[in-house]
Amino acid sequence: MTVFRVCLRPLLMISALWLNGVPVSAEMAPLGDEALANVSGKGGIYLSGDISINEVGGPVQNSYFGRCDEADKKCGARFAYRLKEGGGWMVLDEIKGLFAFEGLTLRVKKIDTGFGGDGELFNRDVIEIGLPDSVRFTDVQFKIAASSTARPTDPGFMQTDILSVQMQGDVIMQGNLLVFPDGKP
Amino acid sequence: MRRGNGSLSSYCHLFRLAAVMSWGCLLPALSVAELQQLGEAEMSEIDGAGVGLVLDNFTFSHGTDRPDSAGNQSRIFKISGIKSTDGEDVDITVNHLYIAGANTNYGEDLTQVNLGRLLNPWRIDVVDGNDIGIANKAVLEFAAPSKIASTEGFDCMGGSALAGSGTCSSRPASDDWVGERTDIGMQMNVTVGDDRSANLNIHAKSAVIDGSYLRLWGDDQRQQMAGQFKLNFYSPELSINACAQDGLVCGSRITMSDFALELAIGNSLQPVFFDVDGTGNFVLEVDAIRAPGAGQIAANGMRAGSNGQAWAFYEDYYGNPEFRSNLSIGNFSVGDRDFGAARVQGMLIQHLKIQTKDLAP
Repeated sequence: MTVFRVCLRPLLMISALWLNGVPVSAEMAPLGDEALANVSGKGGIYLSGDISINEVGGPVQNSYFGRCDEADKKCGARFAYRLKEGGGWMVLDEIKGLFAFEGLTLRVKKIDTGFGGDGELFNRDVIEIGLPDSVRFTDVQFKIAASSTARPTDPGFMQTDILSVQMQGDVIMQGNLLVFPDGKP
Repeated sequence: MRRGNGSLSSYCHLFRLAAVMSWGCLLPALSVAELQQLGEAEMSEIDGAGVGLVLDNFTFSHGTDRPDSAGNQSRIFKISGIKSTDGEDVDITVNHLYIAGANTNYGEDLTQVNLGRLLNPWRIDVVDGNDIGIANKAVLEFAAPSKIASTEGFDCMGGSALAGSGTCSSRPASDDWVGERTDIGMQMNVTVGDDRSANLNIHAKSAVIDGSYLRLWGDDQRQQMAGQFKLNFYSPELSINACAQDGLVCGSRITMSDFALELAIGNSLQPVFFDVDGTGNFVLEVDAIRAPGAGQIAANGMRAGSNGQAWAFYEDYYGNPEFRSNLSIGNFSVGDRDFGAARVQGMLIQHLKIQTKDLAP
């Protein structure tokens, strides 16, 4: 029901080809354990692109779902989950829209300084996801609902829409998300 | 092999295949050399860890712009789908929603903030239920930075940026550090049918939610998702005011200083249950605590004459401060009039059932 399209800039494609090429180079020599231990990944990934969800409609075409230009049909994606055995379903419904972003970065970074004195005590690696300064939302919408059946085409379908959200334009999202292992089971 | 696009793609394909195969040959050789068996004792020492999250130099802002001369809006943020009791559509237009650093002047000057500390981050973790009073369950926990000992923590109201002034681990902004407390606010207006309300503004200064969590697990008896929700919200100033549509004239500002909310919905003895009923309505329920059996508790309620185990159970249920909700406001003022302090303490939710109802015709 959901179609994701991710367009990445040629830069990433080139670097992917380049990576593929390395192992077949004639100059390769095995690295010893000690030498390998000194290798660290540097740089990271820089992503620009857009993700669209059911911009024109999903792949399911039936009496309920259809293309977005068919007025009597729903074209957004639907995600239903059940909270109780034999109970009804919570639904994220009519999910559609386009997110475009420039400059989402991903890298591994060692933090041993800053953070108001926490960095020095922390002294570990984190995965750093650099948020793009702004994300352009085009006709992004979704609905939170509660439904008696998982699919709207199932018999006895009843649904209560709790609320729907619509977002459009540039959303400011600045900063870095740091991800690292923490806690105990 | 013919020359042309086809051969180029075949070449690329071969090239990649060779690359994959050479990796394939290389990797096992390396990994075999590195593998060593772990003994039983070493295995038992291994802990799976949860995920810690910190947002560094973070700012979020979105809203709805005024339409231009052609009636187009470049930014829209709307919440709709709600119906009034008369069946009219209710639209909430969010003019501005922001999460930013301290001293934003009610969202005018957005600054950056850290959310979570490296040493006490936001956490997503599966925890052992036996450690938190939920017997023999693996519990999924989403948690804000935890509270810490008052000898090391910071004043939750932000009165002092010195360690040892309170129990919050997130630090207020100081001259040399942006801190981990956020100015958060929303400006919105509500439309019911054709009536559009004035703009309503809600702002919290230097807010912190340390010690909040959501715990989820499956209940065997009811075959249902059960949970425990705790929200701690502290802000030195929470304010609400209303302005005209054009934002030029505003009413008096309602200010609640030193605002502290500690809300507990569901606890380990009385979890909150989530469900959707057969007609597609959402149900949230906190079941009443089981009544004591006949003769388990003495008529005068004292321990002497009661069943010791049953008495201890109810003593823990009624005495545990973690199960209680509190709200306190240091000073409540409207415009330049002060109404003093307000405090509601020790509320215990003994039974709760909330059910949505569809008003759509």
